[in-house]
Amino acid sequence: MKIIVCLKQVPKNDSILRISETGDWIQDRDLTYEINESDAYALEEALQLKEKHGGEVIALSLGPARVQSVIKEALARGADRGLHLEDPAFDKLDAFGIGAVIAAAAKTEQFDLLLTGLQSDDFGFAQTGVVAAELLGAPHATIVMAVEVAEGSMRVKRELESGYFQWVTLPSPAVLTIQSGINTLRYATLKGIMAAKKKEIKKLDAAALGLDSNVLAPKQQIRRVYFPQKTKLTEMLEGSPSEVAAKLLDRLANEARVF
Amino acid sequence: MQNIERDTLEVDVLFVGAGPASLAGAYKLRQLINAHNAAAEKSGQKGLGEVVIAVIEKGREIGSHMISGAVMDIRALAELLPDYLERGAPLESIVTEEDVSYLTEKRKLKFPIIPPPLDNHGNYVVSLNKLIRWLGPIVEESDVMLLPEFPAAETLFDGDRVIGVRTGDKGIGRDGEIKDTYTPGADIFAKVTVLGEGSRGSLTKKLVQKLKLDRGRNPQVYAVGVKEIWELPKGSVKPGFVMHTLGYPLPDDTFGGGFVYGMQNDLLDLGLVVGLDYRDPFTDPHRLFQQFKQHPAIAKMLEGGKMLYYGAKSIPEGGYYSQPKYYGDGFLIIGDSASFLHSQKLKGIHMAMKSGMLAAEAIFEALLADRYDDEQLSRFRQLVEASYIEKELYEVRNFHQAFENGRLLGLMESGLQWLFGGVGIAGDHLHAKPGHTRIRTLDYVVGWEPKDPGEVPELPAVKYDNKLTFDKVTDVYRSGTEHDEDQPSHLKVLDVNICIEKCTKEYGNPCQYFCPAAVYEIEAEGGGRRPKLNFSNCVHCKTCDIMDPYQIIDWVTPEGGGGPNYINL
Repeated sequence: MKIIVCLKQVPKNDSILRISETGDWIQDRDLTYEINESDAYALEEALQLKEKHGGEVIALSLGPARVQSVIKEALARGADRGLHLEDPAFDKLDAFGIGAVIAAAAKTEQFDLLLTGLQSDDFGFAQTGVVAAELLGAPHATIVMAVEVAEGSMRVKRELESGYFQWVTLPSPAVLTIQSGINTLRYATLKGIMAAKKKEIKKLDAAALGLDSNVLAPKQQIRRVYFPQKTKLTEMLEGSPSEVAAKLLDRLANEARVF
Repeated sequence: MQNIERDTLEVDVLFVGAGPASLAGAYKLRQLINAHNAAAEKSGQKGLGEVVIAVIEKGREIGSHMISGAVMDIRALAELLPDYLERGAPLESIVTEEDVSYLTEKRKLKFPIIPPPLDNHGNYVVSLNKLIRWLGPIVEESDVMLLPEFPAAETLFDGDRVIGVRTGDKGIGRDGEIKDTYTPGADIFAKVTVLGEGSRGSLTKKLVQKLKLDRGRNPQVYAVGVKEIWELPKGSVKPGFVMHTLGYPLPDDTFGGGFVYGMQNDLLDLGLVVGLDYRDPFTDPHRLFQQFKQHPAIAKMLEGGKMLYYGAKSIPEGGYYSQPKYYGDGFLIIGDSASFLHSQKLKGIHMAMKSGMLAAEAIFEALLADRYDDEQLSRFRQLVEASYIEKELYEVRNFHQAFENGRLLGLMESGLQWLFGGVGIAGDHLHAKPGHTRIRTLDYVVGWEPKDPGEVPELPAVKYDNKLTFDKVTDVYRSGTEHDEDQPSHLKVLDVNICIEKCTKEYGNPCQYFCPAAVYEIEAEGGGRRPKLNFSNCVHCKTCDIMDPYQIIDWVTPEGGGGPNYINL
């Protein structure tokens, strides 16, 4: 089977963040980057499916030149080739725009499965995979915990709320958004890194994908970014352990109302 | 675990550690080979053919473990990349204003003139971190293989000849168990292995011991530098402003001083260097740095600012006489690992780069001769000897030794050395003791004796207000340090009983104080005490390996990618 896995490069999750001078995003100066966490699990899932069922894994990333490092990392871990979607027109895309570009790129490949992470660690919209699926006219399942592939279809386990799960069967080709932690990430090996040097990374821009400015025009926009105001208040309960326990119980029951 | 199948890789030249020394060396070597091959092709001769050059690095990225002051002499950079400006080298500013001051607890006394050794006219304020993050891709594009996340775990030998290194295993649990993701380290074989691991390199340390490369040399002495980068209100930092301080908060018998450098974009770079040959076992470089910031003159400079980044690094400052023999069968040692550092100016970046470039010349000759033994590689020593870095090192060959008896005598002694071209009062080769042997036992802490094991005297008042001053854990967070918790500790305490039975009584467990990253804690357990190692805090400064009075702490490389994620430092 042919699997496309979408990898977003995001600022490292413990980065020291400063708001940009225009006030509508963070400063990109002095940031270091990594693969979006759930995307890394999507990549691992793709590699494991390939190992089980054969086929090909294509690592796709959208962004400026720096995102090539994410594609190279995927190639070193075992992806077969890369797709780098780069165009100045892609710089300020919203989730719909990103989904549209990915869908256009996916159309150039006869894929069986398109994987994304559940959501990105920077914007966190959780829309990209769903939008791409809609534009491709393919079925999708979100928050996927397990994937079982059969001939022409697949059975996937979705995470619902409060510890409930749902099994769904979808025909292929399909789009799945993968939950973090569903597998164990492998390390890149030296051999893998050497092999990756010979693998192809194809670049596609807006013109090559036949995308016009209509599709790419933002449908939503961030007006202002600011740090949350600290409203946290810590109160120390005093007394002997049993008194403190009684007070705590009282507060939990009557103020927090958790019982 | 005997029959492990390992990846192997054969390269021609392997550099260990992607710092300024290795990157400059690898780039220079590629230039020399390219020029030779091009000339050979023109004249129809056989050149060197394909020469594979690789650099392995323990950090997650090229640059993530890079930290320095720094005020840099850009001579070596200009030699390596004459078009460094066109290529956008991230220099912060040429030095525009200099201040050397003596601090008392409340006052700052500015020296009327800049003492010549501290004169930084013509030098540049730089962030080594930014410089290496910029240099890495340039070196990679020149056809050098850069391999981050591959720490060197051990040197591979054929007899006494170095034949390469083994990289660290990945996927081993905290108690040594094999995890599902277990990936054994690879063996990388090379004709020449170049150790550019930085200060107190873990492979270098063992190689020096094994081959007795320090025979007849002074022991290495170190300092540790701790620093923070602050963002100040717009327009209030003058790029290129350089201040050095002596005095407060360091006691007179402790070597070191403070620094404050102005960077671009309203960033201020400040830190404190503390000699790792101090007497008082409760010396805590991080705490001293917090005191330094509380000094009225420093606190005033930080008003309205916000601390962004923190880091720490040891500095090999033993100088000329403590350099190990830095060549041998199949190997060279460059940069901080071989103590290529100006001990008086505490400048090492240009020397590291130049040492790497000279190593490249020696290796190039070795490739032409197809010989990699001690005699052939001794060309490196000859090239160093004829270079300006040798001259710089030799002039201050006795500098650090002069401070062994305290700052005031040291200042007089080093002043005289400056006048007399480096000759010490007691002769032309002053000897030294390893720093850890100078730490005194608890009875040295005057007027205080512990009643119970583990009791500590009252330490200088530092109130961690989270505005001006920060505790170690808060600061470590600002270093971006991460290690997978489920791996064996990379700090090997060889005999834990010594910690509790001897060290507590004799020295009061100084590891708790000298470590600038809160790695070491002594925990009460039952009725007793035991050391607890928070190894995931480790910022890879190696202070523990250096300063432990019993020398039972062995710093080894953790799983690849672990360690700080330094930015701007």
